[in-house]
Amino acid sequence: MEPWFRSFLLGLLLVTPSAFSQQTSSTRATPPMVIEPKVERRDINEADIDTEDFEIGVFFGSISIEDFSNSSLTGLRLTYHLTESVFTEASYGVAEGGQTSYEILSGGAPFLTDEEREYSYYDLSLGYRFSGETFITQNWVFNSDFYLQAGAGNTEFGGDDRMTVTIGAGYRLLLTDWLVLRFDGKDQIFDSEIIGPKKTTHNLAFSLGLSVFF
Amino acid sequence: MLRVFLHLSLMAFTLLSSQVRADTAEVQISQAFVNVHTGPASGYPVFQVIERGEWVTVLKRRTNWFKVMLGNKQQGWITQADLNQTKNITGEKTQIKEGSLANFAERDIELAIFAGTFDSVNGLSFAGSWVWTENIATELSYTQALGDFSKNELLMLRIQHSMFPEWRLSPYLSLGAGLVRTTPKASLVQSGDEVRNSDALELGLGARYYLNRNFIIRLEYKNLLVITDRDEQQELNQWNLGFAVFF
Repeated sequence: MEPWFRSFLLGLLLVTPSAFSQQTSSTRATPPMVIEPKVERRDINEADIDTEDFEIGVFFGSISIEDFSNSSLTGLRLTYHLTESVFTEASYGVAEGGQTSYEILSGGAPFLTDEEREYSYYDLSLGYRFSGETFITQNWVFNSDFYLQAGAGNTEFGGDDRMTVTIGAGYRLLLTDWLVLRFDGKDQIFDSEIIGPKKTTHNLAFSLGLSVFF
Repeated sequence: MLRVFLHLSLMAFTLLSSQVRADTAEVQISQAFVNVHTGPASGYPVFQVIERGEWVTVLKRRTNWFKVMLGNKQQGWITQADLNQTKNITGEKTQIKEGSLANFAERDIELAIFAGTFDSVNGLSFAGSWVWTENIATELSYTQALGDFSKNELLMLRIQHSMFPEWRLSPYLSLGAGLVRTTPKASLVQSGDEVRNSDALELGLGARYYLNRNFIIRLEYKNLLVITDRDEQQELNQWNLGFAVFF
């Protein structure tokens, strides 16, 4: 080995660790803080954010029970919003069946007792919403949506329980962020043999309701 | 009835008024811009845009949408995807957890609705379960099956064992006991009131499929042994397909 090269290597050996040590010491010595940051750690905690996926409401309306004239309808419903457009809903309603035209015209014995005339139902449904806006006037606007629903449940009428399929459509007007005005139309379809041979009946219900998000 | 409604609506209103919370979170927009909608769905129009560097206050959540208050006190809704792009006060990326497969394994409560057949009759069931450990859960269910001749109601309490709770398609076994109430159709049996109550034992096999967020699909088969007052015991088969939400 050339002597100049040997001394170069030796020099390198001497220099390198000192260079390293200098580097480490420079990283270790952080400049002193001028202002201590007093930032309160406020991570977004999901539990702190109020989640409003449920909606509870009452409704009043009219139901036309097939063969038993029109009656007023009162009910309660609970909705769970799964996504911005899909929701599930449980509803319960009560009405009082009227008289058939035969009963009214003949003046004969009634088909059903008062207790059997009580109409009550529950159903569970899945719905799909189409969101938009409704302009009441040019500058007065509400968020609104139109929805379709389908479900199944049970209807108690004429002293029996009946498996019921429901299909419906409705319209929601969001009065505020949490208060909703709803108009619903539903067809409750079940088999009935109350006034003769078994047949499929369609019972149309229309209602107006108010519900709140929570 | 009306009184019940009044009470419930009163309860709902008190719930609402108590929900005004002091805890809000402030986040800083780190994307070029974020669209602010008038309502919590993509169908509602965009009425504002927030730019990078602006701070907004997160007020509440509805499904995958978050209500925010902008600097000019205007309020609007932004998507969860956009919120996940923002930064919090310490400069870290905001992460709002969405239900995940990991949450599915760690769920505490599950609520389910089923449609199915109960010995060739259509049935509807509701079930609520409490998950004790990853593997073991207790479930209470109510089934209503309406046949041509009778109405059957079942109230069952069961223990479920999930063999592989961490799998997306997670099978389970269940063992239950309960009551079966059979009411003959009033239109067929004029004397009525021949309601029969029987005890029942159940052996079930099912599977949960984790869909997304906090939704599950469940399919199950149950074999029921109804212990009747008569000499023979009745064996029934039940198939259920259902949808569940977990918390």
